[in-house]
Order: sequence, then C-alpha cells, then structure tokens
Amino acid sequence: MKTLKKLFALLLTLAMVACLFVGCAGDTPATDNTPATNTPATDAPATESGTDDVEPIKIGVLVADVSGEEALAFRSYYENYIASNYNVTFSYTEQLEDAAAEKSAIEKFAAQGCQAILSFSSADRATQLDTCIANGLYYAVASGMLDDAQFETYKGSEYFVGQIGPSMDTEYEAGYAMGKYFADKGVKTVAMYGAFIPNPMHVYRAAGVLAGLGMTYGGASEKDAIVGQIFGDQGIDPSKVGANGVELIGYFQGFGDTTFDELFAMLGQGPDAFLSVGMATTFFTDALNGAGVEFSDIDSFTSANGEAMANGKLVYLAGKYSSSIGPIFAAVVNAVNGHPVRDAEGNALSISQDYLVATDADSFAQYSTTDQGDSPIFSKEVLDTVIGENVSYDDFAALVSADRS
Amino acid sequence: MIKRQSIGTKLIGTLAIPAAFAAILFGLCAAEGKTMFATPISVNYFVLYAAIVMITTMALSINLNSGRFDFSLGAMAVLSSVLSAKITYALLQGGSGSAVVMLLLGVVIGAVLGLLSGLLYVGLRIPPIITSLGVTLIYEGVTFTVTSGKYVNTEVRNASMSAFSGTWIWPALVILVVLALIWFIFDRTKFGYDYKALQNGQKVAVNTGIREVPNALVCYVICGALMGIVGFLSATRSSTINGGSLNFGSIGIMFTAFLPMFIGGYIGRFSNDKLGYLIAALCMSLLNSTFAVFSNQISASMQSIINALLLVIFLIYLSNEGLLKKLFQRKQSASCGER
Amino acid sequence: MAQSELVKKHRVRELLVALLPIAALAVLFGALCLVVNIKGYRLDMYLKIVFNEGVVLAIVATGAIFIYSLGSFDISLGASTLFSATIGVMVYNASGSLPLMILTIFGVAIGCSLLSSVLASVFHIPVFVTTVAMMSVLSAVAAQIITTNGGALGGIGIPATVVAPLDNVPFKLIALAAFALLCVFVFDFTKIGRRLKFLGSNAVCAKLSGIKVNVYAIIAFVMAGLGVGLGAFLTLVYTPSVTPTTAGSIGMNILVAIVFGGMPISGGSRSRIYAALVGGFSYILLNNILKIVIDSGAGYGISQIVSAVFFLAVVYVTSMNYRTKLLPR
Repeated sequence: MKTLKKLFALLLTLAMVACLFVGCAGDTPATDNTPATNTPATDAPATESGTDDVEPIKIGVLVADVSGEEALAFRSYYENYIASNYNVTFSYTEQLEDAAAEKSAIEKFAAQGCQAILSFSSADRATQLDTCIANGLYYAVASGMLDDAQFETYKGSEYFVGQIGPSMDTEYEAGYAMGKYFADKGVKTVAMYGAFIPNPMHVYRAAGVLAGLGMTYGGASEKDAIVGQIFGDQGIDPSKVGANGVELIGYFQGFGDTTFDELFAMLGQGPDAFLSVGMATTFFTDALNGAGVEFSDIDSFTSANGEAMANGKLVYLAGKYSSSIGPIFAAVVNAVNGHPVRDAEGNALSISQDYLVATDADSFAQYSTTDQGDSPIFSKEVLDTVIGENVSYDDFAALVSADRS
Repeated sequence: MIKRQSIGTKLIGTLAIPAAFAAILFGLCAAEGKTMFATPISVNYFVLYAAIVMITTMALSINLNSGRFDFSLGAMAVLSSVLSAKITYALLQGGSGSAVVMLLLGVVIGAVLGLLSGLLYVGLRIPPIITSLGVTLIYEGVTFTVTSGKYVNTEVRNASMSAFSGTWIWPALVILVVLALIWFIFDRTKFGYDYKALQNGQKVAVNTGIREVPNALVCYVICGALMGIVGFLSATRSSTINGGSLNFGSIGIMFTAFLPMFIGGYIGRFSNDKLGYLIAALCMSLLNSTFAVFSNQISASMQSIINALLLVIFLIYLSNEGLLKKLFQRKQSASCGER
Repeated sequence: MAQSELVKKHRVRELLVALLPIAALAVLFGALCLVVNIKGYRLDMYLKIVFNEGVVLAIVATGAIFIYSLGSFDISLGASTLFSATIGVMVYNASGSLPLMILTIFGVAIGCSLLSSVLASVFHIPVFVTTVAMMSVLSAVAAQIITTNGGALGGIGIPATVVAPLDNVPFKLIALAAFALLCVFVFDFTKIGRRLKFLGSNAVCAKLSGIKVNVYAIIAFVMAGLGVGLGAFLTLVYTPSVTPTTAGSIGMNILVAIVFGGMPISGGSRSRIYAALVGGFSYILLNNILKIVIDSGAGYGISQIVSAVFFLAVVYVTSMNYRTKLLPR
C-alpha cells in the first residue's frame, strides 16, 4: 500500500513534469513576436501616450540592482517620463542574481509579448544576446558595454541594437581624471577605496585613479598592464604602488565586518584626500565628513550627494544623470519600428558615453537641476531628433557626445 | 560524583583561549611591524564589534541550545533597526537623544518580532527551523516593502548616532548590561531554571509541570530583543542599513556566531557560558581587527576560509577531546612503563 | 468494529494529508495556467521556463533527501553546485573535452560531499556546522577562481555551442527521471534506504541493531553529491557560464522545497524521495504565479511575504500526521 502510494506520487509528479514538456513540445524558438511577423508599433513613434490606437511597444528591462539611487532614477525616467511621452510600456525584472536568472527573465519577457530587451544586468551578456536572438527579441545594452570580443561576435546580428554607455576605456578615463584632479590640487597623501574590485568597472576606474595620481603599479604605467595586474591581484596591493609625488597611504575594498576598521585606520593617518571608485557616498559620507577628509566618488547626481558637496567634504563627483539612458531607448524604438541604426558596415551601435563631473555645489546643482523629472536632458524633443526613418549612426554619435552641461 | 575544578583549572580553562588568540594575533602584527589598534577609533570599533558578536551569539544560543534552530535572527535585527530608525527619525528628525530612543525602540520592536515568531512556532507546532524559514522570508519582505529595497541612510546619520559609535564606553556599557541581564534571567530566576530543565530533558520537564509554551515564548522574546540591540549597534557601526535583502539574504549574520558560540560553550565549562560568549566575542573581534590590519594581504574570500577552518578545527578538537585525552594518557603510561 | 472504522478513518486522513503536497502542486499548476492565460502570455513558453527554473532545484533537492532522511541538513549544496560547475568550466577550457568536464563535475561534487561526510562522521562534527563551513570555503574558493580568470567579463564560461544541443526539455526530463528513479530504487527498494530512515527515526536503536552509522552517512552524502553533480552540469547546460552568484539560492531553497513537498525536517520513516520533486516545482510555480500577479517593483517584498505565508500554510497542514504534544524541536 505504502509503496504503491509512493510510486503513484512519483508517477503523478513525473506526469505533471511531462505535461510541461508536452506543453512546450510544439514551440519553436522564434515566437509570435519575431521581427518578421511584427507589425511596426507605429511609424511615428513620437506620439503622446493614450492617443494611439496601435499597440504600444513592449520593452523588457533586465536589472541587477533594484534599490540603488541611480537604478531608481533610471527607472523613474523610463516609467514616468518616457512612458508618458511615447507609446511604450516597460516591464522590469526583480533583482537578477546570475546568468540563469537573466536568461529566464528574457524568456518570460518573450512569453509576455515584449519586442525588445534593455539590459542593465551583466552576469552573462553573451547568453542574454543568444537568448534574445533565439526568441526574436531586439537587445540593447543600457549600462556599460560588451567586452570587445563579444561585440565582434554579435555586432552583425540583426537583433543586437547596440550599446550606449561608459565603455571600460571611459571608466579608466573617469578614474584618471579623478586622480589627476587631486594630483593637480597638490595633495601629498591619499587613501583609496576600490569598491567591489574585481568588478571590472571598478578595476578600470581604480587603474585610472592610480595613473591619474602619477603612480605606477607593479612598475607599469600603461592601462592594460595595470588593469591586468589588478585582476590578477584581486585588488590593489599597496606594496606594488610606485609613488610619484603623491603617496598612497592606505587602500581597502569591499564591504564587510572589517570595512570600518580599515577606513578608520586609514583616516587615522590623516590623508589629504580619500578617493573612491564607487559606493563611498553610500557607505562613508558620514565618517569622511566627520573626519574632515576631502573625498571623491563615481556615483550619480542624487540629493544626498548634493548635500555632501554643499555642506560636507565631497569635492569631486563623476556621475551619470538619470536621462543618460534616453538615446539607447531611441535606438530600440527605431529597431522595433523597422529602422535599425547601423554603422557603415551594417554593425550595431557602439557609442561610449562620458561621465559628467561636478567639483562644487554650483556645478552639481547645474547637472541635477537640468535633469529633473519633467525636463530631462534627453527630453522628448531631443530624442525625437534621432527617432525615425532617416537617422544615421553619426546622428546618434553626435547626440550622445554633445556637451550636456 | 562531579569532580570540582580548582581555581587554577578554572582560570586556565577560562583564559587559555583568549590568551592564545591575543598572543598569536598581536604577535603576528608585531612580526609584520603593524599595530592592531592604531587609533582610538580602532578601539571603539573593536568594542562595538565585540558587542555585536556577543549579543548575536547569545541570541543564537538561547534557542539553539534548546534544539530550536532560528534562521530569522538576521531578519529580525534588520527589520527592528529599520522600523526603530524610521520612527525615531519621525519623532526627533535626527536631533539629540536619537541614539537612545532608537536603541530602546529597537529592543521593544525586536521583542515584538521575537514574540510573533514564537507565537507562530507554538501556534503551528511545526519544527522551529521551518517556522524560522517562513519568518525570515516574511520579515525580509516587510523590510523590503518598508524601505523600497533602499539603504536607510538619513535616518541613522546624525550627531547622536555618531556620538554613540565615537566612544568605546557606550558599547562597553551595552555589553555589561546585556551580560548582567542575561546572566540574571537564565541563571538566577525560575524561568532560567525551567529553561535549563527543558533544555536537558524536555519530556521529563513537561511531566514535572514546567510550562513549556510560555518558556519558549519568553526565549523568543529575549532573542528578538537581543537582535533589536544588534540591529541598532550594526546601524551605528556602518551608519547605514541595507533594506534590500530578500531570499534569505539576511541569514549571514547567524553564521558569524557559530564559532564564538562553541568557544563560549567550551569556556563556560570552566566559568560561566555567558562570560564565555563575551570572551569568545572579544577573540572574534581581535581576529576581525587583525584582518583589518592585514586587509591588503588577506582578501575577504581568504577571511571566510580562515573563519571556516577555525570553526572546523575547533569543533574537531571539541568533538574528539575525550579521544585525544585518552590517546595522550595512553602515550604517557606507555612512556612510564618503558621507564 | 467501531475501532476498525476509526483506524480506517485515520488512515484515510493520513493518506489525504500525505497527498496534499501533490494536490498543492496540481492547484499551483492550474493557477499558473490560469493567470498566464488571463494575462494573455504564451503558456507553452511559461511552462518551459518553469521547468527550466525548477529542474536543477528538484534534482539537487532529490539527492539531498538522503541526507535529510538522517535528520541532518546540508546548506552547502548550492556552494557545491557552484564549485563543481566552476571546476568543470576550468577543466573544459584546459582540455576542450566535454566528457572530461562532465566527469570532473561529478567527481568534484561527490568529493565535496565526501569531505563533508568525513568531517561529520569521522570527526563527529555536527553535520549542519560542517556544511556551514563547507559553504563558506567552497563559495570563497569558487569566487576566487572565477574572478581571477574571468577578468573584464566578471565570469568564466565554456562556448555555448558545446552544451547548446542539450539545452532542451526532453534531455533534462530524461536526466530528471533517470535520477529520480535511481533515488527511488536506492531509497525505497534497497536496504540502504530502509537503514537511512531507521537511522533518522532512532539513531540509538539503529546503532544498537548493528547499523554502521558512518557507512550510511557517507552513502547518503555520495547520493547527494550525485545530485549536485547533475545539477551543476544542467546549470551549465542552461547557461554556459558561472559567476560567483551562480546557484546562490539553491542551498536554502532545497530546505524549503523538501518541506514544501511534505517531508518532515526530522527525516526518518516519513522521508520521501518525491517530496523534493513535488516541493521544488511547487515552490517555483508559486513564485512565478506571484510575480505575474504582483507585477511591480514594490511587489518584490509583498510577493515574498505571500510566498512565505503559503509555504507555512502548506507545511502546517502536511505536518498534521506527525504533530506531537510537546513542542517540536
């Protein structure tokens, strides 16, 4: 009796699982929403929401961060500003932890009838692209960029719309500019926070900071050599840093039980400045203001950072603004509407986007107020100039590289 | 017949581990020409971390010693600190007295969260490890909903909170008060005697008339209150609270308490287990300060590995102590025989 | 007569309660179909997604039943999955051989399990504490390997084409069925299963009956290692890359899945292999339903609360058969 019950239960479970299999047996990778069968959502996408009788463009958004200030500002720009000015709907994922979650999310978006994917998640971009291609979804990188080899592999795919964001070179340059700012200021001793190295973005920024301060690392002063060594060391080993006028008196990274011990040990040595390649404004603003040490970070133009710059010791902030993700949205709309923007060889867009830098309360206020909710830097009027049939790669490049300050 | 320990044995048993920890860790620092406590702030953070570890260890051990596994300790600490920080900020806008109000609110809210967890356990009568899984998910969900998943910063960044973490005296005071209270409650009250009876023989204790349900509920309330204090101390230490932990992201704090719990239990054989938890917490804080000194040589991954290895090695010793003693005695008698 | 009727009634109630997790699975399956249809989504695709999300959890949890039947639990299985997959990727990238990669994955997974069992049974360390330590060590070492070798990509992987032909439902279904049948055979039709359940029910009696605890603990861990190996391989089949967060949620989800499937956490004679399958897929179905119904950013926390309440409700009802007068521990 008992054995029968067990067997019955097992068979029932397997039968139900088999139902899943039967349910999918007939499906083919290409779904109803392949571009070939898509009716362009509208030929004139720059229409007011709610006034269209055509189906809105459905875009799925992959996010690895659902709670950071920058992530929330990006989301607000898409869901509030863009969605109310264009005939488009955005569906967001929950916090994606790994490549399997990314792939599963894309498949769910395909099942929900989305036509394109905008990705802010980077666990495995190659698999993201493969999954989009298999499901006939357009794919665009909204934050960061593909690795060079990956870009070479996918740049010719009709489903790869492109990438607009800070490239790894841009991250290096952002770090370099920060380091140089303090070197030019004449600081003699600095402490440094490497955020979440070996996160590649933070590795490149940290390498840039060292170079900007005029330091060598393991005897190297070239970008690739420094970056390679930081990856190998899984961090910065201060004993390998060669000083040149500015001395690195302490370095730490990550966030754990020892973080504040390390921070205060460094602050106890009285550095002239504290340079961070990310997250310092979230974790250490209070401590650094209290210690009276000038600090810098690469973050975003949030109100808390504005306060730290106006009344605290934050003296340098390289940041993104919330509407900086506008151009990649425009590129996706063009692709969905059947007017993909490609370069002369027919390849996907790949345009690096620089950070804006504030070094005082006035410049900070200028960037944050010019990118407010109803009047973002990439407003509807600006984006409409690159949405349509006759838009070229150069138009996008010009739009992205124009001085937005 | 129980063999009474001499004062010498007690002293050696109590102080051997901390003395060994201190000798090795200070020795390591000295050998590398480094100072463990370079600034007064290092001392403050050393005491603060010791307080966090000691109280978490006590909270873990209260239920675990009674066979009740509780995954929800971390979730209780985070939720109580988020709620107490938000209420305190709403009342005082970060003004003077914020730290004290947040601490008291944290204790009360933590106790209520512990009570809810306990009521679920005694009400559903399913194994505590399972209710704690559900409670963890619920408390994490509530925290995420209250904070929208964001870090809680403004509410915990004010002069009052900075003043608390700016000296070792306040955390030391918290340690003393908690230690005294827990000692009194568990070693000097009827509740404590009942707790020990239930711990050592649940069925017999219940048959003798000890009321198990109220005893368990009080244990959960105490655990919650202790984790409320931990939540507050963690908020003062890092001046932020991460409100975005979901899917058991909050359970990590519990794992840091295992090693001190076993060390504390061992020391307790020679003195008192609560004192053992304090001494073990001081050892862990020394280790943490050493990791901070060597942070450029010992990565976070390596720290995890070292902590895990210490736990395994100590447990191997603890679990095979009798066997080792026998082996040692056999060797001694063999060498005597040879002579 | 009246007594036999009472016994009969009791048996019917026991059977109904025992079948409840399966009924819950069926209800959740129906609910998913319903909400997907109401929303106008593609049901065939959703079913495939749910299967892909659940299959690794179900397989690893099925292997874990052997450990859980002893009344122990292991939270390092997620880290073992990550570690095995990581070493597998490294071996493939060094050798270019898929069979060698598969062998390595299984070898490493079983090796990790054996190490846990040796620490637990030979050195007499509590199993749970052993697995906490193993979890820390394995995830730290895997993270170190991945980040050192991953460079700017942040992860390591094998070429997608190597495993792409296997990324389909029939292959995974066969793998799941084969492993489940193997486990059912070992657990329900050999003395190994009977003795494991005996050990879980009453370790003292089992020892006095001459059962070698260490031998059976090692067998239990080896079976769990097999599940981890297969799970790690199928993880790579689905996404041919690993990052430090790969399989991060599996460790705790196994615990939830097994309990959700109606098995008591204390193990023993009520241990059932199908509990992992039923519970694993039920949990994944429930989460997907909630994500479809509560479709907003603020809803992440709320959907987790609803999921937890549903979990507790199912466990409450399924535990009716083994409720005691004393508070359970």
